[in-house]
Amino acid sequence: MAQPTIPNDLDFFYDFFLHTKSAELTYIYRGIFTQAIIKHILSLTETNIDKTGESVKVKKRVYLIMVEGLQNITRHQELKEFEKKNQAIFLIQKIGSQYHVTTGNAITNDRIEMLGSQIEKVNSLNEDELKVYYREVLTKGKISDKGGAGLGLIEMARKSGNKLLYKFQQVDDRESFFYLRTEIFSEGEGSPQVEPDPNALEGIEGMQNILEAKNILIAFNGIFSQESLLGLLSIIESQMADNKNVYNIIVEMLQNIVRHGISATENPSGNEAMFLIREQKGDYLLSAGNFIKRSNADKLRERLDYINSLDDKGLQSFYNLKLLDFETNDGKESGLGFAEMRLKTKKKLLYCFREVDDEFSFFTIQAAVPVIVES
Amino acid sequence: MEPLIIESGGDTPYVNFNPGTNTFLIAEKSLPANAVEFYEPVFAWITQYLKDPNENTFFDFKLDYFNTSSSKQIARFFKFIADSPFKERVSVRWFYEEDDSDMLDSGLLYAKLIDINFEFIEY
Repeated sequence: MAQPTIPNDLDFFYDFFLHTKSAELTYIYRGIFTQAIIKHILSLTETNIDKTGESVKVKKRVYLIMVEGLQNITRHQELKEFEKKNQAIFLIQKIGSQYHVTTGNAITNDRIEMLGSQIEKVNSLNEDELKVYYREVLTKGKISDKGGAGLGLIEMARKSGNKLLYKFQQVDDRESFFYLRTEIFSEGEGSPQVEPDPNALEGIEGMQNILEAKNILIAFNGIFSQESLLGLLSIIESQMADNKNVYNIIVEMLQNIVRHGISATENPSGNEAMFLIREQKGDYLLSAGNFIKRSNADKLRERLDYINSLDDKGLQSFYNLKLLDFETNDGKESGLGFAEMRLKTKKKLLYCFREVDDEFSFFTIQAAVPVIVES
Repeated sequence: MEPLIIESGGDTPYVNFNPGTNTFLIAEKSLPANAVEFYEPVFAWITQYLKDPNENTFFDFKLDYFNTSSSKQIARFFKFIADSPFKERVSVRWFYEEDDSDMLDSGLLYAKLIDINFEFIEY
């Protein structure tokens, strides 16, 4: 049976990679936030921050601010399962010695005024005043029906020692998108209080537009290693528990990056790369992009074209041959991984090469796996 | 012979080969970045064991996931059995979760490609 062809739009991948590359680490989750997913987002980020050798204090601050931000989303998200637009996003970036935690979620327009004034109030207070205010709200505060009372906002300001950045982007007469960013310095208490750039959230709309247009559910841009891979996998396992195919293919893709990718900046801890999960017309589109030597591009293209050219029977015998090829046993052979991806997806693998400079190309590969609809 | 016990490492499987109790289990996930390295001690152990295996040896493979680089090492594992003069004393019990037809298919492929005793058990 002929499969409907998925258009190759992978050219956007490298542009989005550059868009998020200003940070050493970018992790984006967009969609429905459940407790299980939050738990895994937290543990993934924890793993990644652990590796940076950050002090316990900074780690805990980042963690607590993430918890507040994520819970803010769950408290206010209305579960619009079928509405793909205006889904909540969570974004963490490491930029130099700072961590930026950004959340974005739809709120009804009638809440804008109250939220805005709560944040302004928090931003107007210094450290000591915040402490007093916190106690005040805690003991006799007006608890909102969602259990918030702005305590989360106060905590985020206290833990970061910074002003909160926010922005309301009107969607329609009923709803707006509410962005909230907290910037945390990793230098500890001695760090000077730097006023956050009030225009910092201007770029977020552009990113949000790409996320929506391409229906990106998960983006991870950073250094890939076996540890970060395991963190990503635990999220995917909780989110797509009934879709082992997705899991298996992601393992192959990510390990391809770890094994064959190269670092364009000679980063010793792993390879800079990006991984995306998108959803489109009943398929999960899993794509991974990394740098390769330009001189290796032709060989890789040939191998992929060859694997794509095989029919079911040819593919299976190629796979069997590679599986039993004990002569090559250095764990480096990649034909097996590509063949496995094709066998599992039953579709051709889409790919894209982009020449970056004289030495490097950026290679993107995508596999499509049907979304399993629960009956 | 001393048992071989390797605790699971999140991305590496739990291995418990115990000739004394006649139980041989490999379970959970096998996704190591370097499968060749992980399986080296396992192969060293079975090479020794297969010189005189128990009369009814069942290697239980109860894996949730494995990556392609492990799939090749698993094939090697079965090849060690196939090349043993005592291969008739040894069977592989391939466990697959209900509904996990991929895991069953992987096992069936091994059974087709490598001539040793296989049993398939749904759990």
